[in-house]
Amino acid sequence: MKRFPTLAALRGLVRQSRRPFPTDGMRALAMLAALVLAQAHAEGIPSLQPKLLPPEQAFRLSARALDPSTIEARFDIADGYYLYRDKLRFTTEPAAAGQPLLPPGKAKHDAFFGDVDIYRGELVVRVPLTKAVAGETITLHADSQGCADVGVCYPPNPQQLRLVMPQKGGKPGAFVETARKGWFK
Amino acid sequence: MSSTGRSRRTLIVAGVAALALALGTATALLHSDRSAARDGSAVLGIVLPDAQGHEQALTQWRGKVLVVNFWATWCAPCREEMPQFVAAQARDGARGVQFVGIAVDDPVKVRAFAAEIGLNYPALIGGYGAIELSKTLGNDLSALPFTIVLDRQGRVAHAQLGPLKAAQLNDLLSSLLQTS
Repeated sequence: MKRFPTLAALRGLVRQSRRPFPTDGMRALAMLAALVLAQAHAEGIPSLQPKLLPPEQAFRLSARALDPSTIEARFDIADGYYLYRDKLRFTTEPAAAGQPLLPPGKAKHDAFFGDVDIYRGELVVRVPLTKAVAGETITLHADSQGCADVGVCYPPNPQQLRLVMPQKGGKPGAFVETARKGWFK
Repeated sequence: MSSTGRSRRTLIVAGVAALALALGTATALLHSDRSAARDGSAVLGIVLPDAQGHEQALTQWRGKVLVVNFWATWCAPCREEMPQFVAAQARDGARGVQFVGIAVDDPVKVRAFAAEIGLNYPALIGGYGAIELSKTLGNDLSALPFTIVLDRQGRVAHAQLGPLKAAQLNDLLSSLLQTS
């Protein structure tokens, strides 16, 4: 089902997900931000302005630590948007990451780029660390780049998250959402 | 109602009022930004190097119908729309239309793509800083392609996120060439 993106974003912001905003205040602020954006569109630049989400809503990043040496990163990709598989980069510090386990994408034919792999919907990527670092705080850097089907692309978006790695045999950590929005303010 | 309940309600009312005020202020700011953006002097004030490294000031095209297109080689819809800009530049250039591309990209990739499509108008190199520049001109979502069209008087006649359709572009150019 195709959803109206701005409404979908509003719903996404207010819904009780397993990764809710920490407080009502933050949720209210997010609602406010969404309303201001909706207003900006309504006022908009003349004619044929597509209704579009800001990149942090079109491609919502979150991550959790599964065990002392594994991070699970997720992108919730809004309907009508996609991410390029070959533009995804995951690195960690201070402990280094190994090769991320990227699921196969869907082939998309592009007049200039040829066949490229893209992701839609939910993307789950396992990022293994090169060593177990129980109890340590790890910074995950996730670079991504995507587009909307209406015919616009967002620039490469570097984001980072900080995760506390669980103890061996301990429970996976909670999902963390992006803390720093790259250069989209 | 208990005093705790009442103070909580007061807090909620205050919170809603604060939000409304913030929303109003934000909207007012957006309005002022927009009216400022209708004056194209911010566009004409742009100075950037071209793909050969020579500084180019957009003021040199003052008096033309100026189409400023923010694009990148990594942006498929941008690449798809540019051949029609090449065609329009060839057709309407002598009548006073000037296209200028501002690439959110590096010069090597820009030169390669320019050669590939036979680019016949300047491709200025903005790097990622050009995204911030486009934001100050109304590209709130920092996405590409983003195009601003100035009339001969230097006013913003059209600004658009997303590709321009060929018919829309042609209508716009002919009306701006006729009226100015």
